[in-house]
Amino acid sequence: MKKLLVFVLLISVALFTVNCGGKQPKAKMDDIPEWYLNPPQAEDAIYQAGDAVKSSMALAKDAADARARDAIARTVELRVTNMMKDFMQQSGMGEDAEALEFTSSVSKQVANTVLKGCRIVKREMKVEGNNYHAYSLAEYNLNSLIEETLNEARRQKALYNEAKANMSFEELEREIEKLKNVGQ
Amino acid sequence: MKFCLFTIALVLGLKILAFAQECVPSWFEKLPEVEGVRLAVGYSGKFTNEAGAKSAAVQLAHKNMTKQISIRLQFDIEELADGRIRLLNPSFKEFYEGSILNAVESNSSVIDSTITVDGYFVLLALPAIEYLPIPNACDKPWNTRLDWIENLPQEDGYVYGIGIVARYRNWVRAWQDADEYARFDLGKNLQVNTESIHAVQRNNRTTIESVILKQTYDLTINDATIVARWLDTANGVYYSLCRAPRP
Repeated sequence: MKKLLVFVLLISVALFTVNCGGKQPKAKMDDIPEWYLNPPQAEDAIYQAGDAVKSSMALAKDAADARARDAIARTVELRVTNMMKDFMQQSGMGEDAEALEFTSSVSKQVANTVLKGCRIVKREMKVEGNNYHAYSLAEYNLNSLIEETLNEARRQKALYNEAKANMSFEELEREIEKLKNVGQ
Repeated sequence: MKFCLFTIALVLGLKILAFAQECVPSWFEKLPEVEGVRLAVGYSGKFTNEAGAKSAAVQLAHKNMTKQISIRLQFDIEELADGRIRLLNPSFKEFYEGSILNAVESNSSVIDSTITVDGYFVLLALPAIEYLPIPNACDKPWNTRLDWIENLPQEDGYVYGIGIVARYRNWVRAWQDADEYARFDLGKNLQVNTESIHAVQRNNRTTIESVILKQTYDLTINDATIVARWLDTANGVYYSLCRAPRP
């Protein structure tokens, strides 16, 4: 009888432990939105997705939104860096240290300063056990990106001048404005 | 036996309390648009007397109208993750002018009100008017799931935000929070400062991603109106949609 009691007790403890330390339910592949796995591609906009699992629905939404926007900011930095490098190379000063510094500075500022008009266009909320899994899709219009890049380049005019540029600043502005197809 | 009956009664009672809001005035679900008049909704839960319920609903409507006219929102969210733990710290602060609240209190009027089994609802108009014909005003059950829940409306000249909350026992608090979250979400869709550092360490077996993320904004928004609400009665999820003209 005593052995039986001990056995039952052990089984109960084991089941309790497995239940407590068990893995969190994971998202099934079918539940994951298609736009999260393959964000849309567009010539005039950048799309990035983010997700978060939290026990509070509002918190899950905020975290997923923040991660989607952060992904946009990182893409923006990369795009602006490429855009500026292309321009610097075309103008024959691609490897110049000051030019690289200028490029890096403008792209970091554009990405880290303000994302204007970056909005969450799609959102889905799934229940996973006791948690909510939020998926968010952020969209950023490339016209805003060009505008921000121009503004930042204007703000950093002094740095540009120090780069001993062989082109005028107005020329740089014109070149950036031409880059309407940076989404490719 | 008594314990079983008590438990069943308690569970049923909580369920009724949680998801009781089956019927609402149509203008609570979708705010009508009337030329030259601002509209805002107020609501309150069950009170021991009708006057108390109405007073609480009107007070909330005054605050909602004040926030609609002009509100300063300060938002920031920080996330720290080092591969083992992930900390998220959001902060929401809002400020509105006392002088605007006083003006709203003295110049507005309640143009419609209704009592349901759950509480009291009022529709406030600014400037004060005696009568306003509101199309299709009636008490009705919630519509089926609407498109704006998943796809943010895209309308030229306007910016939108959605507030979502769940697992609330008190529906008044739930709607208040959903409305506030919708305003803050609208601000994020206008502009947000972003900064982040990402570092990835890889070895043969594991990948550790460390992230420090910070997003902030401090904006004053005018005409941010809660234009629609929807309750997912099956799951107890509250949705509010806020709209403001794009500056």
